[in-house]
Amino acid sequence: MTWKSHSVRPPRIAVWLISLFAMAEEAESILGDLLEEFSPLASKMGARSAQKWYWRQTIKTVPRLAGFGFRTAPWMTISAVAGGFLLRRLVGPLVGSAAFAALERYQDFFAHHIGAYLFFASTGLDIEHLITFLLIGFVVAFAAREREMAATGVLALIFAAMAVIACVYLVIRFGYIASLWRLTWYFADSLAIVLAGAIVRTHRLTARSRRRAA
Amino acid sequence: MRDRDYLGEFEHVVILALLRLKDRAYGVTVRQEIELRTDREVSIGAVYATLDRLERKGYVASHRGEPTPERGGRSKRFFRVTADGAEAVSRTHRVLQSMVEGLGFIRSYA
Repeated sequence: MTWKSHSVRPPRIAVWLISLFAMAEEAESILGDLLEEFSPLASKMGARSAQKWYWRQTIKTVPRLAGFGFRTAPWMTISAVAGGFLLRRLVGPLVGSAAFAALERYQDFFAHHIGAYLFFASTGLDIEHLITFLLIGFVVAFAAREREMAATGVLALIFAAMAVIACVYLVIRFGYIASLWRLTWYFADSLAIVLAGAIVRTHRLTARSRRRAA
Repeated sequence: MRDRDYLGEFEHVVILALLRLKDRAYGVTVRQEIELRTDREVSIGAVYATLDRLERKGYVASHRGEPTPERGGRSKRFFRVTADGAEAVSRTHRVLQSMVEGLGFIRSYA
């Protein structure tokens, strides 16, 4: 029984989520506390119940950690978010210009491949936007050390809210229902920002644990 | 000046848990003490968010313990109530007592 309880591990994704949102010292205390309670629970109630309990704790804990990350360094987070906006203003037009320059440069090719042209001019541009937002997310997360998820999360929420407001305005003002479909791409842009934050945070956590091990 | 800074409901509960636990107060024991006495599930995140807020107010102080194997080699963070924290608890109790006085609600609602 004892062996069994030791062989049961907390859900890896839940552990990763807490590491993403908690600051380094806080993560150590919280993950240690959860593990200390998890092992006896697993031997007493079984692995499934213990893992459910761990997930419940994680789901309730992550929003608090995100809020705490923002509240403890609001100016740092706001500056990173403002930097993200600025970057979007600077980089956005460049991406558009580069895409149209590519269309012009390869117009002979596109003239014979209409399907490729249509894909590049619609979905291709959306993918370029997605990559732009991913890069913006990287820069913001890099600037907001220890608060990568709070900064990228706030920026993503603002962009998503702006997209919703703009789409609702288009529908109400001009009856442009199709704009609602565009929301999926806009939400994907916001998700790309958060994904970049998670990548930077995970990379930093890995580097830190390697340094500790050395 | 903190003469009018009263503790919120959960802050109050957490500080009382620290006072009960004395030098055994860390995340797990605080969470379990609150669950045991309030009969409601409390998340570890709620406990730490409140403890961190109380620490920034100067009501609570913390120090790190030694890493232990049952915690995967991670250390405990122990908490204790400061003199300012004890004063804040007394102040909050005085205010609550003063608000309750004369209502006789225990007789009416018991």
